[in-house]
Amino acid sequence: MNSISQKVVRAWAGLGPGFLPFADAATPDVPLSRLLRLSLFQVSVGMALVLVVGTLNRVMIVELGVAASIVAVMISLPVLYAPFRTLVGFRSDTHRSALGWKRVPFIWMGTMMQFGGLAIMPFALLVLSGGGNAAAWPSWIGPLSAGLAFLLVGAGLHTIQTAGLALATDLVPAESQPNVVGLMYVMLLLGTVISAVIFGVMLEDFSPGRLIQVIQGSAIATLVLNTVALWKQETRRPPRNTGAVAAPAAPSFEAAWRRFISGDHAIRRLAAIALGTMAFTMQDVLLEPYGGQVLGMSVAQTTLLTATLAGGGLIGFAFASRTLNRGADPFRMSVAAVLAGIPALGLVIAAGPLESLAVFVAGVFLLGFGSGVFGHGTLTSSMRLAPRDQIGLALGAWGAAQATAAGVAVALGGIIRDVVAALAARDAFGPSLAGPATGYTAVYCIEIVLLVATVLVMAPLIGSKRDASFAESRSVN
Amino acid sequence: MDDPNKVWPTGLTVGESEELHRNIIQGTQIFGMIAALAHLLAYIYSPWLK
Repeated sequence: MNSISQKVVRAWAGLGPGFLPFADAATPDVPLSRLLRLSLFQVSVGMALVLVVGTLNRVMIVELGVAASIVAVMISLPVLYAPFRTLVGFRSDTHRSALGWKRVPFIWMGTMMQFGGLAIMPFALLVLSGGGNAAAWPSWIGPLSAGLAFLLVGAGLHTIQTAGLALATDLVPAESQPNVVGLMYVMLLLGTVISAVIFGVMLEDFSPGRLIQVIQGSAIATLVLNTVALWKQETRRPPRNTGAVAAPAAPSFEAAWRRFISGDHAIRRLAAIALGTMAFTMQDVLLEPYGGQVLGMSVAQTTLLTATLAGGGLIGFAFASRTLNRGADPFRMSVAAVLAGIPALGLVIAAGPLESLAVFVAGVFLLGFGSGVFGHGTLTSSMRLAPRDQIGLALGAWGAAQATAAGVAVALGGIIRDVVAALAARDAFGPSLAGPATGYTAVYCIEIVLLVATVLVMAPLIGSKRDASFAESRSVN
Repeated sequence: MDDPNKVWPTGLTVGESEELHRNIIQGTQIFGMIAALAHLLAYIYSPWLK
């Protein structure tokens, strides 16, 4: 080996663990390779999300010519299942299994639902579009089967994510949780970005056959990714090893929920998560058209916006992992993230009148960063505050609040923009506000109000003590 | 077979084997229904028995 190579090798060796993001998420019991393998379930969830919300949204409207209103209903169907995440979490906490598993049966069931939904989806969409011989059959078959497919995918992905995050919390000790949360978020983002690129390339040359290949291919990918992810991950705790004569009866969902919300500001935490998530996601589908309509950006440039938002999120996750590892309070960090969101939206609004791309991109980046830190902080605090026997319920409640708020916010953002833009076009706000920017600005202003509301709700949580059962729970796992 | 706590050479008790069997049956039923539905929809779109 020559001297240059030796120097480079030494440089790599020095970079090693520090260079690999979240390498310090691993512990002696749970090595990084095992955590990375577990996090593959997030890749399958990201893939399903981008397929349903992004790719198929476009394919149904543009290539298959389905009415936009039907498409909107179909895409919103997975959100309907989000509130049930709390129930899924509770059921996985109290699951009775002779094999001694709590999370694996739910991840597997979720995988089957997502697989099933994706397996029937391409045919359902083709029938929905009235193509082939479908016109000879009753017209209700298309919407019903497509609705079933979207519901199955939604139910599957929410179940997988809830049980998967609960399993991750079970596996790692408390001090590694911030890094594991970071890793899970990064894998979700990676799954989304990589799948979006692959779907885009594969569907460029669109044909019904290609649509079937792509969607059913993603069904197989779901099965493979999730099987690899959960293989030998959960410790089996069969009842025969516990020494208990008879297990006590599981509490009802109502009793468990009442106990959960009586703990440490649970309702306030959930309200803060919902408000903050709404504030950070309402502009999600509006940033690209805003860039195009108001700032005159090209399609390629607006696509880069999504990358900027994702890049901000990635840096946010890494920053949050680092900060929380140094012992920061997750609520204080989340409040700071929300406060960073206000100038970010200010920059986005100001970019219109200033006609400045640089200001807009800076705002979008800061928004992605704030959103990443906020998501990380709230999930980490939910993990930390979860009582030992209610980890599934606590993470289910986090997921329900977060996913429902995100779904509602995206829909509301679109509706508010359309209504305000229509009113502005009719000169309802005077000639100076008749431009296309008014609808978007209205949404951004509502987001700022929501961010302020989040800070007000969250401020009393700063420094709130961990649940008493927390420390004891970690020593067991 | 009457001792519920006996671990058989497979490493499983009777209760555990029953649960495994239940999951396999249930999985087969779900996959079967999915396949039937997918075939029905494919037939509606493009009948292959003509």
